[in-house]
Amino acid sequence: MENKLKRYEKIAFLGEGQFATVFKARDVETENIVAVKKIKLGSRVEAQDGINRTALREIKLLQELHHENLIGLLDVFGHMSNVSLVFDFMDTDLEVVIKDNTIILTTANIKSYTLQTLKGLEYLHLNWILHRDLKPNNLLVNDKGVLKIGDFGLAKMFGSPNRVNTHQVVTRWYRAPELLFGAKQYGTCIDIWAVGCILAELLLRVPLFPGESDLDQLTKIFDVFGNPTEENWPGIKTLSDFIDFKPLPAIPLKSIFTAAGDDLLELISSMLVLNPMARKTCRECLKMPFFSNKPAPTIGSKLPLPQNIRKVADIERQSLKRKLLDAAEGGSLSKRLFI
Amino acid sequence: MDDFACPRCRTTKFQNPSLKMMVNVCGHGLCESCVDLLFLKGSGSCPDCKIPLRRNNFRVQLFEDASVEKEVDIRRRVLKDYNKKEEDFSSLAEYNDYLEEVETIIYNLANNIDVINTNKKIEQYKKENKDQIQKSKGRLGKDEFELEELLELEKQMNEARKQEILLEESQAKKKKVQRKEALIDELMFSNTDAKNIVQSFAQQAKEEQEEEAKKPPQKKTKFSTGIEFGRKSQVSFLPVPTDDGPLYQYTPVTLEPDGPQPPAENDVITKGFMNHVRTETEQERAGGFQTNIACMRALQEAMMGLYHTKKVQC
Repeated sequence: MENKLKRYEKIAFLGEGQFATVFKARDVETENIVAVKKIKLGSRVEAQDGINRTALREIKLLQELHHENLIGLLDVFGHMSNVSLVFDFMDTDLEVVIKDNTIILTTANIKSYTLQTLKGLEYLHLNWILHRDLKPNNLLVNDKGVLKIGDFGLAKMFGSPNRVNTHQVVTRWYRAPELLFGAKQYGTCIDIWAVGCILAELLLRVPLFPGESDLDQLTKIFDVFGNPTEENWPGIKTLSDFIDFKPLPAIPLKSIFTAAGDDLLELISSMLVLNPMARKTCRECLKMPFFSNKPAPTIGSKLPLPQNIRKVADIERQSLKRKLLDAAEGGSLSKRLFI
Repeated sequence: MDDFACPRCRTTKFQNPSLKMMVNVCGHGLCESCVDLLFLKGSGSCPDCKIPLRRNNFRVQLFEDASVEKEVDIRRRVLKDYNKKEEDFSSLAEYNDYLEEVETIIYNLANNIDVINTNKKIEQYKKENKDQIQKSKGRLGKDEFELEELLELEKQMNEARKQEILLEESQAKKKKVQRKEALIDELMFSNTDAKNIVQSFAQQAKEEQEEEAKKPPQKKTKFSTGIEFGRKSQVSFLPVPTDDGPLYQYTPVTLEPDGPQPPAENDVITKGFMNHVRTETEQERAGGFQTNIACMRALQEAMMGLYHTKKVQC
């Protein structure tokens, strides 16, 4: 255990979440940069149950998942009463990319991001796991342009007929309508809805449905798609939190995404369907023409990076250059001394 | 210059000192009077190469070599469409390649090499980059931008100088009047010698003048933020990379069962597996849950890893 503590050398503090603090660290053994997530010790009551639930989920699920587009759990170690998880280090996330207004996101960029998200999600769903918290903030991107789905604190196995799930999952803006109506049994469709919202956000650069409350969220959704009926969503009235909305007409997606091509609109409209049974699965989405059509998805190294990272990269490059120069000068000096 | 003559009428500079050579896009020269004569109707064909020409495209020949004129013309025409700026490219190498291509096109056209294909290439480029051309038209490149800034700075400096001079002049006038009054007062009320007074006043005036000749004040050209006054707010976007990678093609992902292959989704539904599982309630279906999912997972979990053996290390 002692060597594990020494193995990771802290470089910088990255951020603090509800359950954990994250540090950037260097793995002394492999010289890789990693992110160390130190799980906070919760209240006494929580601590009684043992390890924090979100951490347990991450440890349990991520140990067995290995995919290019899923965050890799490299190591877990404990010290005293807390637990630290070691992840791949990621430079930024999609939220930063979306909010950086010096970045222009082309169709090819958007295609690349969506493609990587769906690939990771397909693998996840294939392994009977729902992520349940997809949002731009949880789609991590590194400086090589690789997108990885992160934060498995809410992830859960699905497909057990008798287990009741909570519907209070997914950040509200990306929450699917069936969750808002209080569905206790759901499937992969909730993740697809979130991906649809993220795709829309990549295009619009603002959240598509920024609801202020659960009810407001539903209103915002129905403002666009019209309100659901028993015809287009059978059984909707049986959902526990169902409420009738006054009839709203649907508006064409073309008028929201004015710059999107037809194949892209087709993809959005098959992801953002009110009725979860009518929503396409990851596999069906990946087979849609949008992904195989031109323009080809941008290759990772050419994906845009947000400003702060660009700057850091520049500085590092410069310092490297200076180091090289210094080395060169030092070399000549020693030579001179020899003479 | 002596043997320089109009190719049509053979008039030389010697015969007609006011001879003006004109040139058109084809690069063949004509003297002004011949142009008047031949292109009376506004258009006609070049006597040398029979290319149809317009009269208002004739310009005064600036260079002695008419082919240079032709190249200048072609360059202007080509650059009107090939108007990308350095900022449009993500790397210097790409920009250089682009410049090289433009030069090749101009050279080809100027020297009549492969004119048809080159023209076709230009047309195609125009079609492909219609938006880009339109956008770049109004935009200033980096160099033009700096030049504009410089001009603006100069203008401001000029203005400042003008105002300063005006101010100085009025001040000098005021001072002169004051001095005069003081002198008269002094002469009127002082008891010293009038000659001494006049002399000391003259000296004082001289000193003051010398002092004024120094220090020219400076005017601000920047805001406190360091932004130049005349500068339009131009956000520098990142260059949009144009290179595209390979097109995506879907390849299905499968799990390694390490055991017998569990039945596919279709089989689960059609082959009666579902008879042994309770069907989903309406509420569950509305939430997006289907029993066949649960059934498939159960089947998969039952079969996964059945062939698994512990790897024996040799």
